[in-house]
Amino acid sequence: MTTTLNTTKETKIDTEERIKIREIEMVDVIVMVGSALSAFALSYFFFQILLPVSGALGFLVCWYVFFNIISTVAVWELRGAIKAKDHLARVFIWTGGLAAVVPLILVLVYVIGKGYHSLRPQFFTQDQKFVGALSESTEGGGAHAIVGTLEQVGIASLISVPLGITTAVYLNEVKGRLTKPLRMIIDAMSAVPSIVAGLFIYAAWILALGNQQSGIAGSLALAVLFLPTVTRTSEVVLRLVPGGLREASLALGGTEWRTTSRVVLPTAKSGLVTAVILGVARVIGETAPLILTVGGAFVMNANPFSGKQDALPYFVFRLIRFPQEAQVARAWTGALVLVILVLVLFVIARAIGGRGPDHISRLKKRRLKRKGLA
Amino acid sequence: MTSIDITSTDTTRMSSDISLLDPGHQAAGLTANNVACWFGTKKVLEGVNLDMAPGQVTALIGPSGCGKSTFLRTLNRMHELVPSATLAGEILIDGVDIYRGAIPVTDVRRRIGMVFQKPNPFPAMTVAENVLAGLKLSGLKTTRSERDELIESCLSKAGLWNEVKNRLGDPGRALSGGQQQRLCIARSLAVSPQVLLMDEPCSALDPTSTRRIEQTISEISETITVVIVTHNMQQAQRVSHRCAFFLAAENEPGRIVEEGPTKDIFTNPRDSRTNDYVNGRFG
Ligand SMILES: Nc1ncnc2c1ncn2[C@@H]1O[C@H](COP(=O)(O)OP(=O)(O)OP(=O)(O)O)[C@@H](O)[C@H]1O
Ligand SMILES: [Mg+2]
Repeated sequence: MTTTLNTTKETKIDTEERIKIREIEMVDVIVMVGSALSAFALSYFFFQILLPVSGALGFLVCWYVFFNIISTVAVWELRGAIKAKDHLARVFIWTGGLAAVVPLILVLVYVIGKGYHSLRPQFFTQDQKFVGALSESTEGGGAHAIVGTLEQVGIASLISVPLGITTAVYLNEVKGRLTKPLRMIIDAMSAVPSIVAGLFIYAAWILALGNQQSGIAGSLALAVLFLPTVTRTSEVVLRLVPGGLREASLALGGTEWRTTSRVVLPTAKSGLVTAVILGVARVIGETAPLILTVGGAFVMNANPFSGKQDALPYFVFRLIRFPQEAQVARAWTGALVLVILVLVLFVIARAIGGRGPDHISRLKKRRLKRKGLA
Repeated sequence: MTSIDITSTDTTRMSSDISLLDPGHQAAGLTANNVACWFGTKKVLEGVNLDMAPGQVTALIGPSGCGKSTFLRTLNRMHELVPSATLAGEILIDGVDIYRGAIPVTDVRRRIGMVFQKPNPFPAMTVAENVLAGLKLSGLKTTRSERDELIESCLSKAGLWNEVKNRLGDPGRALSGGQQQRLCIARSLAVSPQVLLMDEPCSALDPTSTRRIEQTISEISETITVVIVTHNMQQAQRVSHRCAFFLAAENEPGRIVEEGPTKDIFTNPRDSRTNDYVNGRFG
């Protein structure tokens, strides 16, 4: 690959033959393929013919177990006990990795397959005002739900991110007397079921204080879930900043506040962005806390402070239960848009957060140029 | 002996008695009187008396674990950063007690700079920003020409200017280990300290970088008092005017066994243990 690219530019091509570490030998391939085939045959025999049960899942499990036994024995014969254990561990880790990734990909593929039919530009510009029971699924859109979700999650992060990072700084940099109780409260908060967060805001903000259902009520409920995630992740990230940097800053005559704001936080910046991403990911798909707080709506209400609002997950939750196929199709499109939204937010966050402290972003380079420092 | 309550004297108000960037600042003398240190209940240092005269290089030598670093860190109030750490005695800079006196702790640390054993440039800052970090951390405003001048003069003093003058915008950690250490020295020099404490500054460096740093120490010692911990006997002889030999007997706190002009310590020590140590017979 590289050589063909290089020849066109007439650069010097390295002629030394590089040592191939981890080369897979033919024998190994034969052992694997052979084990897989004989395990298939064996499990077919046992599962389909001898046992009175059948089914794809049972067959797969049977095949997997036979494959492990046969291939391990084969490797043992060929290369000894250590290699056999190594082989078995490798198979387990590979299956574990696959088992984690496969459902994820399946979900994505499924959502895309179900949702892309009615994904039209107007999904991002129209609400459900003129959508009747017999409308096509491509009519109307989810703009009101997208706006609702963005506003609710946006306000929730405006509340939780500064508060969470400040708390993390307190827990890790100040280490005051309240560290222990505070950490306990944060731990307890992260265990709060999301419906309880919704109920809490419903009882405290809407029933007790007499407010109406609105976007802000939803934001408050989401903030309850957002805060502990940001705090705990930020705390871990701040703990990873080497103590030597703090000492160096203090030894230069820095105050604790300047040490934190000029040295610790900038060093941890990309990790803190990850903390925020995890927080957003935690709340953006939440439905339960929103049902009681935002109320749901079919028309655009861009004002989060008054009137009911919709949110994408809530939109999906409502429409998917309709008998009309068109509504169900819209719900799937809503789910797909939610996935896309999360993806876009993550890409933006990564672009802002940069790639770790040693990397100096283009934006910062320009600022330094202006100050004559680069 | 009463131990010092660190928190009660921990004032952080800014004093204006020293001007940063003031080229006419003077090296200051440090005096330690009867200093003792504890980590929790464990006493690691006892009865340390040492005069570090202005404009001189003092080397602290001794076997591992005898309390050299601990002593060095009491000299600019870094010792108290360890939660369990306490101390007793007094440390004077030009006759003023740094623990009980009126100098705020941030000013103490700015006047008495420190270079650590491991190079620790700030990773989120460029080479140039690292040099200016001390000013930023003290909240000092500077003009562009002042900054340019400071960057060049500090990096030149640290013997690094020629290597990095075209790389001022690179991240601090993109430099080699030796370059990073010299960057840290430049960073310390930028706040015009009167004293510079160095804890084994060359232990991770190659001979060439080591020589460069030794050269730097000789050059700056005219205007800055230097206290250096080193395990390298040749280095102690090359750079220091005076030398203090620390020793801790087993399960005993460390003490200064002998202190005096470097030449005497190495050629004509009064104590037989000093003789053994400087000739490599133990430690
Ligand atoms: N943070 C700490 N907590 C508890 N004990 C400590 C701590 N730091 C150092 N000590 C103890 O204090 C004693 C002196 O340590 P110090 O680091 O001053 O030795 P040193 O002379 O600098 O040794 P070296 O030459 O190996 O750097 C040692 O016995 C050490 O175990
Ligand atoms: Mg030490």
